[in-house]
Amino acid sequence: MLAGIDYFIVIAYIVGMLLLGLYFKKFVNTSEDYFLGGKSLPFWAIGMSIVVSDIGALDFVGVSGQAYRYGVSVGNFDWVGSVPAMLLAAFIFIPYFWRGGMYTIPEYLGRRYNKSVRTIASATWILFFALDLGVLFWASAVLLNVLMGWPIWISILSTAGVVGLYTYFGGITAVIMTDVVQMIIMFVGGFALVFLGLHAVGGWENMVEKIITMGPEYQSHFDIIQPSDTTSPFPWTGILFGLTFVMANAYMIGNQSIVQRCLTAKNEWHAKASMIFGSALKMFIPILVLFPGLMAVVVHPDLSDGDQALPMMIKSILPPGLVGLMFAAFFAGLMSSVDSLLNSTATLFTKDIYEPFIKKGASDKHYLKVGQITTLVLLIFGVATSPISSDFPGIYVAIQTFMSYFQGPLFAILLLGIFWKRTTQWGGLSALIIGIAFAVFLNVFKEHFFHIEDPFLYISWWSFLVGFIINVIVSLCTKKHEEKDLQGLVFNTKIVTENTSI
Amino acid sequence: MLNFDWASGISQETAKMIFFGLYLIIGALVLLLPTEYIYQGIPKEKRFWYHNLKIWSWTVLGILATVYYLF
Repeated sequence: MLAGIDYFIVIAYIVGMLLLGLYFKKFVNTSEDYFLGGKSLPFWAIGMSIVVSDIGALDFVGVSGQAYRYGVSVGNFDWVGSVPAMLLAAFIFIPYFWRGGMYTIPEYLGRRYNKSVRTIASATWILFFALDLGVLFWASAVLLNVLMGWPIWISILSTAGVVGLYTYFGGITAVIMTDVVQMIIMFVGGFALVFLGLHAVGGWENMVEKIITMGPEYQSHFDIIQPSDTTSPFPWTGILFGLTFVMANAYMIGNQSIVQRCLTAKNEWHAKASMIFGSALKMFIPILVLFPGLMAVVVHPDLSDGDQALPMMIKSILPPGLVGLMFAAFFAGLMSSVDSLLNSTATLFTKDIYEPFIKKGASDKHYLKVGQITTLVLLIFGVATSPISSDFPGIYVAIQTFMSYFQGPLFAILLLGIFWKRTTQWGGLSALIIGIAFAVFLNVFKEHFFHIEDPFLYISWWSFLVGFIINVIVSLCTKKHEEKDLQGLVFNTKIVTENTSI
Repeated sequence: MLNFDWASGISQETAKMIFFGLYLIIGALVLLLPTEYIYQGIPKEKRFWYHNLKIWSWTVLGILATVYYLF
């Protein structure tokens, strides 16, 4: 499928990323350099990195497929599903984490609640991230295999080798700075496809007219707000309560790989600005991933699987050269997801598991080495587990679904932890455990409780609410924390009115 | 209850107005933030209007509202 120029672009991209990532090796001397980039990075790099880590190649294909089936309502995830949450993160949560000198979200939970909450949260993230790695390695291998003709194992090892090398040596600085280039490539490749696609369908107005006249099932394809009784997974009630109020906040405030980037900022202003800048960039993502799905409705109206929409558009629309660029954009999405998972998991393990439980009070050099070795072990684990994806094709969806169980209760304890002094360690712990169990229960019996196709938005909302209520009740029944133990951990209007450190 | 049946009587136009209302509330809360907090981290002598994160936030919210108006 690729022409000579496309091969050249892809190879140049892979080699370029490796060299760029390795360049940042010289800035890594301490564990803070490795995990937090020495707290020296500017807002624009962090903002771009947040966006590219959030949108991977699998999302490119998946979101285009959903746009093909359900229309523009899937854009809610990057619009209302990002901006409000990122503003809340920028002005309330990130300044607390940044000023507190934290490395991980579970570290905050440990200080605010107790060690058990910290360990459960950290172990859950480590498990999800580690399992995701194998899936992503397999996905990148399939891409390389189909488009370049490389054998699967050569493809897996070359992806692992390139990403692993620069993440091992350069830490989060290499991850963020390669993300910057990867985001530019994703945007250039994505916009090229959109412009050429629009030309192929005769312009926006023409496309809208053609789709709407295709039948009654396409009548609401351009309605971003879907009625609450729709059978699609995106009723407006789910978008407002499940996505805007819970999942988006849990993701932007509770996801280690997102928040860790903001903690690398050179000062508090850059930390806040990175989130707002990221939210501005996020609003362009639906144009890149959603519009090709809509165009495919006109160009390829009879696809049996919506997930074929994007590959078919690339195949039929893009000329040689741009196919290579688009492939590099796909690969950029995969690489940025893999490097984020590697670095974040290494940080979680070193800071939340190794330091408190295995070796307390060791030298900084020791923890730096542990972080690097963990990166290496994760790399080997990811490569070794990648064939599982071929045996269980639904594993990616299964991992994402399981992660969504965790989001509601996690956000409930973060929210109450920062805004309500009375919240206690037992309230937080029971909310997390019961909330997750309730989400699993709802998912197992979803046919009995819900009438929409995939009720993950509703499950997030209800598990959040249960976690919230349990936290309040148990906290009121248990001994409250001492005032001095909450110093710098609970929201205080002083943070926004006085120039004090918390 | 779990399916938000009580909201089935709310039209799509009204629902859209609820989203616009949310953006307005967020924008108002951002405006309430003290100026000092917005610039925290930048030395006073090096502060310019483009460092004002309230302007950034309102721009982003404005684009978001426009998208929901168009669709």
